[in-house]
Amino acid sequence: MAIQLQPAINIANISKVYKSRNGDTVKAVNNLNLTIQSGQVFGFLGANGAGKTTTIKMMCGLVKPNSGQVTLNGFDVDKEHRQAMSQIGAVLEGTRNIYWRLSALENVLYFGRLKGVSNNILKERAELLLTELDLWERRDDKIRTFSRGMQQKVAIACALISDPPIVLLDEPTLGLDVKAAITVKNWIANLAQQRNKTIVLTTHHLDMAQELCDQIAIMNKGHLLTNQPKAELLDLFRNNFYEIKVVGNLNGTASAITTALTSTHEGEYTVFTGAIDTQDDLFSILDNIREAGHALVSVKQTEPNLEQIFIDYMDNTEVSP
Amino acid sequence: MTAFSTTLNETRKGLIIMWDYKFSMLMELLGIFMIFVGITFFVGQGDITQEQIASTVLGFFITFYAMSTISTMSWALMNEAQTGTLEQMYMSPTSTQLIILGRSLASLVAATIQIVLVGAVILLLFRVSLAMSIHTIPVMLITLFGLLGVGYLIGGLTLIFKQVGPIANMMQNLLLIVNGTFLPVSMMPAWMGFIVQFVPSTLGIILLRRVVLEGATVSILIQDGSLLWLTAHSVAFFVGGWFIYAFCERIARQQGTLGQY
Repeated sequence: MAIQLQPAINIANISKVYKSRNGDTVKAVNNLNLTIQSGQVFGFLGANGAGKTTTIKMMCGLVKPNSGQVTLNGFDVDKEHRQAMSQIGAVLEGTRNIYWRLSALENVLYFGRLKGVSNNILKERAELLLTELDLWERRDDKIRTFSRGMQQKVAIACALISDPPIVLLDEPTLGLDVKAAITVKNWIANLAQQRNKTIVLTTHHLDMAQELCDQIAIMNKGHLLTNQPKAELLDLFRNNFYEIKVVGNLNGTASAITTALTSTHEGEYTVFTGAIDTQDDLFSILDNIREAGHALVSVKQTEPNLEQIFIDYMDNTEVSP
Repeated sequence: MTAFSTTLNETRKGLIIMWDYKFSMLMELLGIFMIFVGITFFVGQGDITQEQIASTVLGFFITFYAMSTISTMSWALMNEAQTGTLEQMYMSPTSTQLIILGRSLASLVAATIQIVLVGAVILLLFRVSLAMSIHTIPVMLITLFGLLGVGYLIGGLTLIFKQVGPIANMMQNLLLIVNGTFLPVSMMPAWMGFIVQFVPSTLGIILLRRVVLEGATVSILIQDGSLLWLTAHSVAFFVGGWFIYAFCERIARQQGTLGQY
């Protein structure tokens, strides 16, 4: 008999409707079902307003769903709040998450105590985390004197101080410069590979999601468009992705040839890239190029990337309001 | 996490942050001192007596605690919503009401330090001595217990209505006027004296003055029922505030506005 492993996160039929003061309603999340296995790095993608942050906040118990249930390692976020919260550490989008008037060490110790970490191991763990994040030398400096990247690293250290099995990172690289973003990205990879954490990551940096995530979900207007292992998702598009190179700069006229592909200009050439579902569609685009009088340079199948897949889903998947 | 360790954690954090604002705090204390002297001078119609100072300073002690609790649960909570630390607090396995209680107690510790500083200056400057005895302790503790309930009430409203600053400001000013700090309840019209007894902190001030200025003991206050009446008040404020906070927290979660500001 196969043993059914308990998922780290189970989201069953959750919906959330926000009501504005004038009585209008906005369906932020619509009957969402997700299962995230332990040890997985789960990429949660979507445009602004897709419902990602609301979903993350429902996982954290900060927003109560109108219907459905969220469990973290088997603990119901609503009914077993205390046990559920001991399973997670979270860095939320767009907020400081930490006290700017405290030092890095004071923040980590404060949040450690708040999360019930015993004094015996708290200082040792704080030193380890701050050292790994390259912050130990500045542990006594106030957070307000830190760069945005360093502040974000302290926020991550505070989220991890209780060594939670699940880490929720909502736009962890938002507002960071390239160097700081790379540091945070490497740290997330380290968490997944070395410490076997379950990580839920929302980001607009799709290259980062492609590099780090095992599983990808794409949301739009509160609906789940897809939820698949990254490899399968890329495979799905592997035979459909083309790059068509033509002579001439088609600035402003590319849409007359096709709206299904993304066009970029490379010197005297225009390059169309994206998913083409059938051979008929491909020949139809080539016909349009010929009719427009542009010389064809090359047509080749390419490796799809997450950004192209994301655009394809957002452009070609209808969701009911 | 126990109530004690939560309080200790919050107090430690509160004092570090308070120390970081030490210049602002010093200016604030100077302002409080000047307001105190100004109003005492005004109420005394240009005259400041030692008896008047003693009576007023006792009222001011409790009013300061009340104002501090209201500040912590309104502006400070709002500030935490803005910085995202409020949401982090809600993601902790520790009961949020316990954390809020810890924060309120921490604010009382910080307020005590400020009260001791301002009080010492006032008493030394005006050469007033107060006969503080062990009998003041239960009166103070029971009064502060009720004030925590007021803090919960304001905190709950802050979670839902967010910009409660003006209401908190009005409450603080109203307390200063009607709770008998400057104008003793005995000097108010009978109807007003009756109503203001239901204002948080009024009964505490009356009993504290009886203990310190008139030498009343706890047994006297128990016998005449006044300590029981204060206890009933404080329990009602605390329990009422606790439930209102819990109710508001539930509404804020449903509205998804816990971390909004």
